[in-house]
Amino acid sequence: MKLLTHNMLTSHVKGVTKGYPLLIKATEVKVTEVDFNPQFVSRMIPKLEWSALVQAADELGHRQDLPVELVPEYEKNEEFLKKVHRVLLEVEVIEGCLRCPESGREFPISRGIPNMLLNDDEV
Amino acid sequence: MAEPRSEGSLVRYYCTYGKGMEPFLIDEVKRKLAAEDVCQISGKVLFSSSAGIDRVSELKAAERLFLLLKKDSPVLLPAHTNQAKASSLLQSRVLGDKDQWSSAVMTWSRLQGELSGKRRTTVKSQSTALGVTRKTGEEGRGSQELKREIVERGGQTCGAEAQTLEKKRKRDEGENESSSDKNAEDQRTSERDRKRHCEEEDEEERMGLHHNVEGSGRNVDNTAEDLTVQKVEHGTTTEGRDETLLQPSLFKPEPPSPAAVTFRISCKCTGSLSRYYSQQEVSRVIGVGLSRLMGWKADLKNPQLEVNVYLSDDNCLVGFPLTRLPLANRSYIKTTGLRSTVAWAMASLAQIQPGFCVVDPMCGVGTILIEAAQDHQDVCFLGMDIDDGQLKKANENVEFAELGNRMHLLKASSMTLPLPSSTVDAVVCDLPLEGSLAPKQTWLPTCLSSSLRWRESSVSVVPWFSF
Repeated sequence: MKLLTHNMLTSHVKGVTKGYPLLIKATEVKVTEVDFNPQFVSRMIPKLEWSALVQAADELGHRQDLPVELVPEYEKNEEFLKKVHRVLLEVEVIEGCLRCPESGREFPISRGIPNMLLNDDEV
Repeated sequence: MAEPRSEGSLVRYYCTYGKGMEPFLIDEVKRKLAAEDVCQISGKVLFSSSAGIDRVSELKAAERLFLLLKKDSPVLLPAHTNQAKASSLLQSRVLGDKDQWSSAVMTWSRLQGELSGKRRTTVKSQSTALGVTRKTGEEGRGSQELKREIVERGGQTCGAEAQTLEKKRKRDEGENESSSDKNAEDQRTSERDRKRHCEEEDEEERMGLHHNVEGSGRNVDNTAEDLTVQKVEHGTTTEGRDETLLQPSLFKPEPPSPAAVTFRISCKCTGSLSRYYSQQEVSRVIGVGLSRLMGWKADLKNPQLEVNVYLSDDNCLVGFPLTRLPLANRSYIKTTGLRSTVAWAMASLAQIQPGFCVVDPMCGVGTILIEAAQDHQDVCFLGMDIDDGQLKKANENVEFAELGNRMHLLKASSMTLPLPSSTVDAVVCDLPLEGSLAPKQTWLPTCLSSSLRWRESSVSVVPWFSF
């Protein structure tokens, strides 16, 4: 699970109102080099919940110098785009789990794929 | 009729397509290839384009691609015609004149070389200019050289190398082109494809007519041929490229003996003509006529040139296939699910824009998203499925297509999707509307309402019904 995916996920346990963002508990994290596409990163930034991304990178210990606030005119700032690219697309949680901030329900991640299935009593 | 020229000249092609795909294909050839004289007749779209063959072969809505030799008024035999007269009429109507066939084979050979060689535009233009000069200056000699070249390639590679390739093909699946051929054939006969596409019946019928052994032999032979062409090209300089293609004997120890192109007729007859002749008989009659006209030799097992003839009460169509595999066999998909042409059409209907987030809540092996990702570079794709086996194959497909940076997978239920509202821009899905995959009657409204929650604007539900 890359942090781009994590930024899109929420807990959908029955009755939960504040299920976003999910907390990450990783037991295996991999950092792989991915081709840098500045257009892609620029296009994705408006879709992101920025604070959730910063928090997730912090949890994994891979925030490095990602700023707390979105910088202005980021489209022209290639250095900033590379930082975002690295956090969004190169850091990957292979094993671990996602935890609902409200209910504490854990969703396992195995071989990079989160399992968001719920039991019948949870829907 | 097309002539061998530089890239600026028009070449007349036709494509086959699956049922329901014709508006997509017509739109695609106009939009991508600036095609002229686009028309549709009984399962084929005809068009002229000056685009390079590499761009033509990237059509997404087409099944098979052909070089058009002729399109004519139908061959209608008068009632109570005797056998000899009918054969003669059939041959004269279908075959036409010698120059037309020579010119078409030259164009076909050039296009085949361009497809396998993947040369740059400048070199291509240079080669074709030389080709045109040779053709107009000394046509007879040019044809002889072409025949010699083809025979040389065929003769050189048919022996032990082809056998080795055959064995490798049987052993290694998914490892090389030959293996892909075998996989394609296996997948072609899968139940799902058979249910969805009647177009495949034509292919199966043709293969049944000529036996699977021939098909396998042809695949191996063409693979070896491609290898030889590439090998020959590596040993040349820029200015000698065209010369080498037509005269590979410069690089070979022994000079080849002059011989003709080997060919096979693949014929499809419908309407009144089929009452007089079976397809095998028509193939034989046309084959005998073509041998006589051009001096070529028929070879049902490993022909260098396949001639496709379609005879109906509406028209007479003759062409040469430009690709062995259908264009619908994508190089970037390892395990196929939904037919790739349909997947592409669905993705095109979603009107995906840069910066979109596109979700497939029942992605299976990920076919639709992978198809969409080929055309959209700055888009994020999210595939979900409830089944571990499907997700495993989807993961392999994503890695094979090198889409790990833009396409992501989740194990989730389509009934309770773990995404916040208004975060998704487009939803594409091959909905299981029937059979065991659709568990309840109330299922579809729940899934749709769940999808609709994500968006600020409306979701388009495009029904796609199999026949």
